[in-house]
Amino acid sequence: MKKEAQLFKSLADETRLRIIWLLMAKDELCVCDIMGVLGITQSKASRHLRYLYHLGWVTDRRAGVWMNYRLSVAPGSPEDKQLKLLADILKSRPEAQELREHLEQWLATKGQEKEGAAACQCR
Amino acid sequence: MRAEARFFKSLADETRLKILWLLSGAEELCVCDVIELLGITQSKASRHLRYLYHLGWVTDRRDGLWMIYRLAVPAGSPREKLLKLLEEMLAPLPEARALRDNLERCLEAKRHSQCIKAEQRRKEDSAVAS
Repeated sequence: MKKEAQLFKSLADETRLRIIWLLMAKDELCVCDIMGVLGITQSKASRHLRYLYHLGWVTDRRAGVWMNYRLSVAPGSPEDKQLKLLADILKSRPEAQELREHLEQWLATKGQEKEGAAACQCR
Repeated sequence: MRAEARFFKSLADETRLKILWLLSGAEELCVCDVIELLGITQSKASRHLRYLYHLGWVTDRRDGLWMIYRLAVPAGSPREKLLKLLEEMLAPLPEARALRDNLERCLEAKRHSQCIKAEQRRKEDSAVAS
């Protein structure tokens, strides 16, 4: 039952929950998007994304210097059901809605700045 | 979203998963049942049960020397949905089934009052100790 506990542990961290919540809204996101929207460092974003990668929640794709991630849970799997339950819980939370709006704003304006994650031209 | 992370954290530990799995197979369980069935110390069992208590997964009731716990999940709540998902995930696992079999045996043994004898022994022991 260690594996099952580990599955739930993936969702037992606030940053990982937020990352999954953002990934649920889009086909694919760049590490720079996660950094920009959540206001976290690259090392923190990458660490959590690699954690999710190793547990099979996401797949990665390199685009230049950046990694892109997308959710990869098999339909009907326990992971898929966990995500649905999570979406069910979060959809009514103002904080979660704000995060999604923030993501839209970020994607609309990214690449227009010269420095930092906002300057990323990954797509 | 901290509360939600904490919510999932309740299930992010193998011992807590097992305790919830046992509780969902019985009306209520004594700390002593959890100790025996999982082969863990009283301090570990109590610590996890108090954790679950403080997060609202279980309610408690004192019975003599021991605390008795039962699941407290309102129908239709996220908690109940998560518990159902957990049961669905664990039901096919041999390890989980073996735990439930042991639980059945323990409950059956209790009906034959073995736990009452154990309780009496403990009371005698504590009387001697004091």
